[in-house]
Amino acid sequence: MTPHKTGAAGSAVLRGALGAASAVLALSLAQAASAADQAPIKIGVIAEAQAVAGSSIPQAAEIAADEINAKGGIDGRKIEIVSYDDHSSSAEAVRAFQRAVNEDHVNAVIASYISEVVLALEPWSGRLKTVMITPGAASDVITQNIAKNYARDKYTFHGYLTSSALSGLVCDGAKDMLVDGLKMKTAVIMSEDAAWTTPLDAGYEVCLPKIGLKVLDHIRFSPDTTDFTPIFNKIEGEKPDVIITGISHVGTQPTVQWKSQQVPIPMFGISSQATNSTFWKDTNGATEGVIYQAVSGPGVAVTPKTLPFVAAFQKKYGNLPSYCGYTAYDDVYIIADAIKRAGSLDADKLVDAMEKTDYVSTIGRIEFLPKGDPHVHGLKTGKGFITGLMLQWQNGKQVNMWPAALANGKLEFPSFIKIASGK
Amino acid sequence: MVLRAFVSPVILISLAVLVIAATLPLYVSGYVLGLLTIAYYFGVFSMAWDLLFGFANEVNFGPTFLIGLGAYTAGILDSLYQPPIALSVAAGVLAAMIGGLVLALPALRVRGPYFGLTTLVAVLILQNFVVVAASLTGGEIGLTIPDVISISDKVNYWIALGFMGVSGAILFGLTRSPVGLILQASGQDPVQAGALGFNVTKHKLAAFLVSAFFSGLAGALMAFYLGAASVGTFIDVTVGVQVIIGAVLGGRRTILGAVLGAVFLVALGETLRPLGDLATFIVSAVALVVVLFFPAGLLGMVKGARAAT
Amino acid sequence: MQFGQILIDGFAISSLYALGATGFTLIFGVTGVLNLSHGAIMVAAAVAAWAASGNFGAGAYLAAAFGVVIALLLALLTYYLIVRRLQLSRAVREEEKEIFILTATLLWGIMIQEAIAYLFTNNAKTVLPIVDGVVTILGVRTPANEIFTAFVCWATIGGLWLFVNHTLAGKAVLAASMNPRGVTLLGIELKTVYVGVWAIYGALAGVAGVLLGMFLGVSSYSAGPLTASAFSIVVLGGLGSVSGSLIAAYVVGYLETLTAYLISPAYRSIPALLLLVAVMYVRPRGLMGRR
Repeated sequence: MTPHKTGAAGSAVLRGALGAASAVLALSLAQAASAADQAPIKIGVIAEAQAVAGSSIPQAAEIAADEINAKGGIDGRKIEIVSYDDHSSSAEAVRAFQRAVNEDHVNAVIASYISEVVLALEPWSGRLKTVMITPGAASDVITQNIAKNYARDKYTFHGYLTSSALSGLVCDGAKDMLVDGLKMKTAVIMSEDAAWTTPLDAGYEVCLPKIGLKVLDHIRFSPDTTDFTPIFNKIEGEKPDVIITGISHVGTQPTVQWKSQQVPIPMFGISSQATNSTFWKDTNGATEGVIYQAVSGPGVAVTPKTLPFVAAFQKKYGNLPSYCGYTAYDDVYIIADAIKRAGSLDADKLVDAMEKTDYVSTIGRIEFLPKGDPHVHGLKTGKGFITGLMLQWQNGKQVNMWPAALANGKLEFPSFIKIASGK
Repeated sequence: MVLRAFVSPVILISLAVLVIAATLPLYVSGYVLGLLTIAYYFGVFSMAWDLLFGFANEVNFGPTFLIGLGAYTAGILDSLYQPPIALSVAAGVLAAMIGGLVLALPALRVRGPYFGLTTLVAVLILQNFVVVAASLTGGEIGLTIPDVISISDKVNYWIALGFMGVSGAILFGLTRSPVGLILQASGQDPVQAGALGFNVTKHKLAAFLVSAFFSGLAGALMAFYLGAASVGTFIDVTVGVQVIIGAVLGGRRTILGAVLGAVFLVALGETLRPLGDLATFIVSAVALVVVLFFPAGLLGMVKGARAAT
Repeated sequence: MQFGQILIDGFAISSLYALGATGFTLIFGVTGVLNLSHGAIMVAAAVAAWAASGNFGAGAYLAAAFGVVIALLLALLTYYLIVRRLQLSRAVREEEKEIFILTATLLWGIMIQEAIAYLFTNNAKTVLPIVDGVVTILGVRTPANEIFTAFVCWATIGGLWLFVNHTLAGKAVLAASMNPRGVTLLGIELKTVYVGVWAIYGALAGVAGVLLGMFLGVSSYSAGPLTASAFSIVVLGGLGSVSGSLIAAYVVGYLETLTAYLISPAYRSIPALLLLVAVMYVRPRGLMGRR
């Protein structure tokens, strides 16, 4: 450790340390500079950009923002979409939310289609007093939390159907199509073990017997299951007329294995991935005959706004939007509409304005349930508001079956399916 | 001999950097502070790993086993009973040390690739447990921890910085102490060290436990900083790889280099964030290049230059 | 009835595991490398096959062949870019080379996995099956694909056995695994042997990956668990012992299937992991390990 030796090494380390310090300073200065411009109205979009469903969220939001800006924006101010990819992780979503509000100063947030992520964000929406709306999560707990602690959680809005609402709509469709139409009598519920399916399954257990379908069994499997053979074998052994599904995280694998095993029982219910236009290719056509619930379908004009949005999306991105693309597009308009009516960006005023929303969107008429309702800030469902659709994959196309007024095809099943009676 | 080590230029420079770092909250944005807070915790993860690898010459492919045990034990305890945070953290550290002991017993009986595999299997088991016991642990998506140490960016930053500074001092001191020298000897030539009368296994076990202590503590603290724990943040193999790469990048067997590596990786990952999945690809590629072409790491290169002069 | 299902299902899954594990253990046995990018290469093969038929309209056979070729290329890349580079490196001490190679292959695996997720999203993909329809065996309606899978796995393993025991090139490989220096004394270029082994490995992993894609489907998330499953089996059977891997593959495959059918699909991987832990504690060499 003689002096001349330490000189050379010491200065190298010093240079290294100074380099690191200046890098940090440069980074922070760059951040400060970008935050200076506040004139546009900023809407943060936190989504799972790598997931097939989630990728549509920021894309659809951009289309809405472009349309609104082309018409002059909101009272002259443009809308700017700031996107964050949460990689399907609650922890990353929370950090993104904090960044969006504290650093990028967004005025509202459109967040995720995964229930667990939205639930992790909900308290932060309250802590940081920023309006947040989800275009795709289904958990009932989201709105239940708002009912429990309205003062803190009132900033969150549920822009999609709750699981219990979804189960009701699936039952409505099942009554018309399966019980009245095909005279079915028994069912097995098959769903993935996740936060959103707990109230869904509970809803199924109640409404299926009410429409005339006896529930023979209720199977919940781990979301990272890859081999569904034992599950289908078990279901087949119980001989139900239909499998009522609740799947979202998985889709390709159970569907492909259902076909390759030639399970003679049709699948009907919630299958989020089946709503994607790429699902036919993903499953190499195995999804033929699968009936799934959605809020939108190709060529189905649920409202006058539906098809123009789809056309704009397809023109810009080349593929059809996923289900939460429709709702994300609507959410930008809903937020813009609320800002206009409130005449302010103050969070509390925005909440009041949002609660008074009465807007015809791409999926139906949007009104939020009021304070006092157990699902406060959820969507109003039923005739005149949101009813959803039931579609079936036929020959590479998604064909709508229900409600009858919007149907553009008839039920058809692959040859290995044995329909109990009727048909 | 220990005191002599503390006066070396590397130490003095590190102290200077620490002092400068402590002043950052006065003029730097909350976003950068948050980033650095995470980086400092990863710095401790990497330093704890370097103690084991650099000195005991044991590649722990599952540092996240210990980290995850610390984070999840503390988090679950808090979500169930909300005891004082210090209690939950202590429980996390204890769990990590017990885990370290349980892991060390079979691991130290085997050599080479088997050791690495044993540690990797430990991570898998923990991961499986977290996913299967989802009602307790929050499963794949994560556990929400009701209490956080503080919601102030600045306070969290200083806690992390202080913790990293103290841990670094202790770990570095350990490596320069007689125990550390024995570890280094037994790592590089276990037969000779054994011949000289040192109980190699006992010393490696001690190294394991020290590594477990700091990993668990840092894990628990970071969980209380984020207010959430998930497989993807604390247990997944990619997190473990980040810890290992941080230490290798900075220079193995230097302890302090681990911090440089960790900060560099976190900054790189964040800068590339807009690229989505491509970011992980690029970070892994950079790490691969370092492993292939600059195995001595940043600080290692400097030390090499020093030895050459 | 259920017994028949368990028997057949377990056999198909075990055969797939066996093929994957064989490749993994071959590489270790001959070159001493634990290739942690194993799962990623398998997934890459499956996704390549899927892309070939989905995006370019290739038929099932062509797509499968394409998948295997991709795995072959990736395996050779792994050898040239990473393994060979580190083995010849002068900056890394001899004892540390193993560890560096392990870390490097792990990183390489992550790179492949992320590239797949970036290019094709992390959604699960299935490969166009070469064989369709169902057959009835022991009163159990089984997808013909499953039988095809088991058949191809065993045909490949059989081919490998023939190669190693009855051809000169194969015997050189076997010799290299026992005594690398001895082989060079016989005038055989060690490098040629290594390249050959990596190529064989690539083909094995490719076939396993494509078959898995046809049978169950894969996603970029599958890479990690596939590697983990392969080396769990290999450790159970004994690192470097091909016969050990085969036996262990069937043990693990049937353990998982029994658990999935009789207990619950959610706990499928637990017994195998517990067995691995037990082996680690009691007999780390594995069933038939040499070192």
